[in-house]
Amino acid sequence: MEKIPDQIGYLVLTEDGAVLESGGELENDERVATIITDLITLSNKVDPLAFGPNEQFKKISITYDDHWFAICLSNKKIYVVKRSINPHLAEGNTVNV
Amino acid sequence: MEKELDKVVEEIMSTPNVSGCLVADHQGLCLAAKGTAHVDSAGIIVAISEQACKIQPNLKPPTVCLETEKKQCLIQRHGTITGAIYKDKA
Repeated sequence: MEKIPDQIGYLVLTEDGAVLESGGELENDERVATIITDLITLSNKVDPLAFGPNEQFKKISITYDDHWFAICLSNKKIYVVKRSINPHLAEGNTVNV
Repeated sequence: MEKELDKVVEEIMSTPNVSGCLVADHQGLCLAAKGTAHVDSAGIIVAISEQACKIQPNLKPPTVCLETEKKQCLIQRHGTITGAIYKDKA
């Protein structure tokens, strides 16, 4: 997990939200762990019409101005990575309103 | 009264790859829903955006993106209003 580019923190959780591994800014951050497990539980209930019953979400991202959280589920574990957004790379994609 | 909102929703729906659009207030009540977005999911969408705001409450509300193999659901909160856009992946 430490090798992920632009990573500033990470968490590996069990399905019920217990912290297995953590590091960086998210080290032992049980508050964020609980929020994220609740968020996953909520996301399972989104629109069965637009997203079929067999269409499970494979990735959730939460984007702030200068960093974002990537959340993925694999092997019954929840992987959370906090990554910084490089302003030079993001410039081409930003929409100014 | 909701003419302005309808106009915005129409505009979003005319964007390529957008399959649905939903706007809800802070109580989870649906203000507008078009396309694949169902009125009933307004509550859940507001709950998701509120949950995401809790991670860093001192920062401005983040954009939440839920992804499946083929589709995407983008949720953004602005003041008391929460908007969701359902997109098909190109």
